[in-house]
Amino acid sequence: MASSTAKASRSAKIVPLETGDGPIGKVLRVATKPVPSSEPHPAVDEWGRDAKFVDAFAAIARLRWDVSVGGQQLLPKSGPALIVINTRPLALTPVLTALALSEALDRPVRFVGRPDVVPFGPLLRRIGGLLAIPEEVGGALRAGELVLMGAEGTRNPRHAGKVDHHLVAAAIREQVPVHVAATLSTMFSRSARIEVTAALRSGRNRRRGPLADIELAEQAQRRLQDLLDEIGGTRTGVPVLGWFGEG
Amino acid sequence: MGSELGSLVASLLESEPWVGSLEGIDVDPPRRRLRRAVFHLIDPRNRARVFEVVTRFNPHVVIHVAVWEPDARANTATARRLTEDAALSILGAAAECPALQHVVIRSAAEIYGRARGSLTRPDESTPINPTSEFGRMAAEIEATANDVGDRAGVTVGILRLAPVLGPHVPSPLGRLLRQPAVPFSMLADPPFAVLRDLDAAQALVAAGRIGLAHPLNVVAPGAITALQAIRRGHHLPIPLIGPEWAVVRRVSQLFGAPVPEHVVETLHRGRLIDGSRAREDLGVWPITSTPGVIDSLYAWPSVVHVISPTAPVNEGAA
Repeated sequence: MASSTAKASRSAKIVPLETGDGPIGKVLRVATKPVPSSEPHPAVDEWGRDAKFVDAFAAIARLRWDVSVGGQQLLPKSGPALIVINTRPLALTPVLTALALSEALDRPVRFVGRPDVVPFGPLLRRIGGLLAIPEEVGGALRAGELVLMGAEGTRNPRHAGKVDHHLVAAAIREQVPVHVAATLSTMFSRSARIEVTAALRSGRNRRRGPLADIELAEQAQRRLQDLLDEIGGTRTGVPVLGWFGEG
Repeated sequence: MGSELGSLVASLLESEPWVGSLEGIDVDPPRRRLRRAVFHLIDPRNRARVFEVVTRFNPHVVIHVAVWEPDARANTATARRLTEDAALSILGAAAECPALQHVVIRSAAEIYGRARGSLTRPDESTPINPTSEFGRMAAEIEATANDVGDRAGVTVGILRLAPVLGPHVPSPLGRLLRQPAVPFSMLADPPFAVLRDLDAAQALVAAGRIGLAHPLNVVAPGAITALQAIRRGHHLPIPLIGPEWAVVRRVSQLFGAPVPEHVVETLHRGRLIDGSRAREDLGVWPITSTPGVIDSLYAWPSVVHVISPTAPVNEGAA
């Protein structure tokens, strides 16, 4: 009995680290802070998009951009679609457009073009990035996702670049509508605009082979250029900055 | 039948109306009480004995679950040997059975590999490119099974299971996540998906019932990252960048939780698969979501104190 009493008194002195009052205890308490297991939604979805992280990122992006979205009602409320946008080099247009459309539609919009290297790849995956591989785009469309891809980047914000027909082919294979969205922004202003169009109609002569991919990609580029011409340049009211807005 | 998954499959098969008689082989005894099944404790290296038992039974359907995940029940070298021996001896003997109509194989999602530029969620049409030892083992089992199917003229159904976890399943990933302090990749922290043992067993039984004749991915809905899993379990996350993983793996092994190559790959590169086709083809789908499986992993108490209601209460005395 004596030995067991001593054992009990010894065990009573053992205090778990996280219950200590010192700085280590405080750090451990924060690090092991319980997460409610009854959370209605998991933090990442089946493609690795983290809704909470997206919300935080969008809040920061709103400090820089004031995006107005038009034509979002033309996109499906549920079900898959491929959206082609114009991009500029190093402008992160697909990321910002995907965030703005996600907010406008209240559903995740994924963008194509994340790298597969740390730390940028995992970071962009958290906000809905996909690899620029046709099979990856096809898989997301098959899963009923809205996928956004950028045309080739151009220095002139009012010129639509070439559209990758390999990625567009995924939409044809999955029989998914293809929309075009023109984006307009300048580096000197907060305001940015996104204008979405109705789904492209395929030509009268339906192709069965790879020409269908190329023709649809060219059609998307032409429609994108028409849309950019219709929107016009960014009006800043300042002569020099206005010239920048025109490209 | 000796593994957790194997004995679970056997107990589910016992209640299936299409199953007449049921026999199983393993190197370990069953972990559940089986009422109808006949169990044979045979080392897979003993091919003559395996051949004798299998050909005498002459099965219509073979469900091959004898896949040893590295560092789950045996170290990597032993797991590879046992898996190879079991695949050769059992499937080889089954090929000689005249009644054989159908073979179901337990494979693994690790078979797709996680090489740079590989798809985030590979589906069944994605070419296999294993990048870990467990993935290569799965590829070899599939090759053996397909060879047996071609030679014997029977259909082969392959279930590529996401990492199988459960409160009682020996799994290196589960063991690592249950450590008091758990390492994770700070720069990547990629998402992965898992599968509960019961859902895996139900998928294997359904594959046997419908006579599945192609590969299928089976995965629980949802995904989770290592940090999120650690925080759900209220454990201490240890952020790692890269080179220190080698040290952490050795230390973890000393504490009884070895971290094999495929688990490191999961923690660095993630492990997601597209399991949508299984819903249509099998008619059953995993009920427990990935976060739910992780919760059940942590909900398992290591020690259950059972207090007898008749025992006298004597505080302060031993």
